Amino acid sequence: MERIALPRAIREEIVAHARASAPNEACGLIAGRDGTPVRAIRCANVHETPTTRYRIEPREQLQAFRAMDDRSEELVAIYHSHPASQAYPSPTDRAEAHYPDAVYILVSLRTDEPEVRGFRIAADGIVREVALD
Amino acid sequence: MAVTVRLPGALRDATGGKTKLEASGGTLADVIADIDRRHPGFRGRVLDEGGKLRTYVNVYIGEDDARANGGLAAPVPEGSEVMVIPAMAGGT
Repeated sequence: MERIALPRAIREEIVAHARASAPNEACGLIAGRDGTPVRAIRCANVHETPTTRYRIEPREQLQAFRAMDDRSEELVAIYHSHPASQAYPSPTDRAEAHYPDAVYILVSLRTDEPEVRGFRIAADGIVREVALD
Repeated sequence: MAVTVRLPGALRDATGGKTKLEASGGTLADVIADIDRRHPGFRGRVLDEGGKLRTYVNVYIGEDDARANGGLAAPVPEGSEVMVIPAMAGGT
């Protein structure tokens, strides 16, 4: 299985974002270098049904890409939360995934101890888990 | 007119893996047509059957959202950077 090192501080940051956004889904990006995450970038969820869907605010996406360029970072992961369901890509997640080079990180809040898992989602919707060390 | 086009995400599949390329054209439609000439199929990745920008594709010309600026008729000034950014979205 592919593995990436997810620093504890970033894991805690995205879990904190998920908890602060509940019952809505939280979403954001993780920038890194050479495939290793270095920081999380919180983004606004502008989907009209934010309890079960997410859409990152497009202009924040543009600004995040530019900021990553300026810092010689790349997009390593896209994260979002599932407030009440498992940390696994839903059919909607698979249908709307357009970043095969990014790891999709899901944070589930359905249990007391949040579950954080990573996946690659190919263009055809095929999901492969990525271990988050 | 020469412009720089950047393609984060899956759209690079349509340009032979390139995420940054030079293109020419005075409007967004011209720029897309120019890229499609060199990378056939690109147009169909960003435009729907009705010839409009696909709903999950956001385009910025410099700081301007192309949708709010004429869509495919949006002017693309010489030297500008065009970012073609697939939406990041999903759901439970």
